[in-house]
Amino acid sequence: MTTARAAAIILAKELRLEFRTRELLTATVIFALVVVVLFSFAFDPTAAESRRYGSGLLWIAFLFAGSLMLNPSFAREQNNETLDALRMAPISSFAILLGKILANFIFMSLAELVLVPVFAVLYNISLAGIVWRLILVLMLGTLGLTVTGTVFSAISAHARMRELLLPLLLLPLLTPLLIAAVESTASLFAEQPALDRTWLAFLTGFDIVFLTASWLLCDHLLEE
Amino acid sequence: MKNFEFLFTAWMVVWAVFFVYEISVARRIAQTREEIERLKQQLQQR
Amino acid sequence: MKARIAITALVALLIFCAGYAALFIAPDEATMHAIQRIFYFHVASWNAMFCAFFVAFYASVAYLVTGNRKWDALGVSGVEVGVICCTIGLITGPLWARPVWGIWWTWDAKLTSTFILWLLFIGYLLLRGLVEDPEKKASLSAVFAIFASLDIPLVYLANRLWRTQHPQPVIAGGQGSGLDPTMSKVLLLCLFAIFCVMILALIDRYRLELLRNEAAELKFEIESRELDAADGAANPALQKGGL
Repeated sequence: MTTARAAAIILAKELRLEFRTRELLTATVIFALVVVVLFSFAFDPTAAESRRYGSGLLWIAFLFAGSLMLNPSFAREQNNETLDALRMAPISSFAILLGKILANFIFMSLAELVLVPVFAVLYNISLAGIVWRLILVLMLGTLGLTVTGTVFSAISAHARMRELLLPLLLLPLLTPLLIAAVESTASLFAEQPALDRTWLAFLTGFDIVFLTASWLLCDHLLEE
Repeated sequence: MKNFEFLFTAWMVVWAVFFVYEISVARRIAQTREEIERLKQQLQQR
Repeated sequence: MKARIAITALVALLIFCAGYAALFIAPDEATMHAIQRIFYFHVASWNAMFCAFFVAFYASVAYLVTGNRKWDALGVSGVEVGVICCTIGLITGPLWARPVWGIWWTWDAKLTSTFILWLLFIGYLLLRGLVEDPEKKASLSAVFAIFASLDIPLVYLANRLWRTQHPQPVIAGGQGSGLDPTMSKVLLLCLFAIFCVMILALIDRYRLELLRNEAAELKFEIESRELDAADGAANPALQKGGL
């Protein structure tokens, strides 16, 4: 069985599992909304400030919500030792990892699909004319988040205090991604929306580096 | 020398940190060595 | 043992010379005067930090490739010593900034990046503390160390593209760069001195880790013999030339 096919099967399993209850998705969306609303109490955003700080707020909300959402990815497998079962199947470890990465990417993207319009309404930011470019930035940023987050979920699944450990390890690592994503989004929210090539290239580079590293190291992540 | 206190503090910080670290490592080495001796003796008795 | 004492004495002498040079031999700098001398230790500790983290990275890769626990021991030593050097740098930085810029901390590119590095590698040490099984501890922290090391250039690049308030690099790049020759010599001496201290700390920490591994192995041996003895007592057939 090819890696792609195996990953697709794992992806389907993850999706089916989640859509049965949709609890993780719901919780993620609500939590991100809470963060967005809390910020509005902490900082009172006028129109000009919304444009400047809005992108930062959006991505912080995504990062926080994401760190919580990524935990169950591998933690769930611990309960019935289903990870051992997966490993015994004749598929590569990268297929397992990739399937989970893709699943998390889809979950996160669905959450963002709900959150971005809500955010645009709450903070009075017009999305007209920037939708496709915004989607590109969101995708690149989310990919970086889910690749590294899924790997760290696999790592922290073996540790105590994993709910705390995952964000603790992940968030410092993601600061370059945060900077790049925030700057790209900010330049799209600006008066004259523009796509920032430098930061986009940076995001792509970030994603490639960590996707490659995950591929090279996946065996050590999932071994007994 | 102007601002000598800051300079001196910095100097002290550098050496104090390394010094304390070295001492703590040395102490733990000694402790672990003792533990190993103890464990080896326990093993001999079996 | 004697060699060890000799080396320590030598390094101590080196440190003394470096310190003396930094404080008294190096010429006074034009704008910042005496406080600028922190620069010698400050830069030297960054240099030592990067070397230590590089050792950790190399050791992590080597561990994953060979499976030899000695590399894991070297890895954790590298990270721990690196964090120490990072801490020194992060403390001497504000001590320099306060008299010169009037503020303790500033979110400029270099300082922010290094703070993030500190957080990342503290995470490594926390991870190790929270994983029980020694094999898993070694391989998981090796994977994390590799990810963290790959992040280092990205962190610095992102922060540099984003903002800067730090004194522009004096040695490499920009106009007005280049050091007074005496200053360069003193800097090199301090770089070398702190590098040696770092190596010494690294070696000691490595030895400690190896000893710990040995102690753990002995404990395991004792426990498994106890288990065998218990089994034997319960089932005499096992004792008499059975298994």
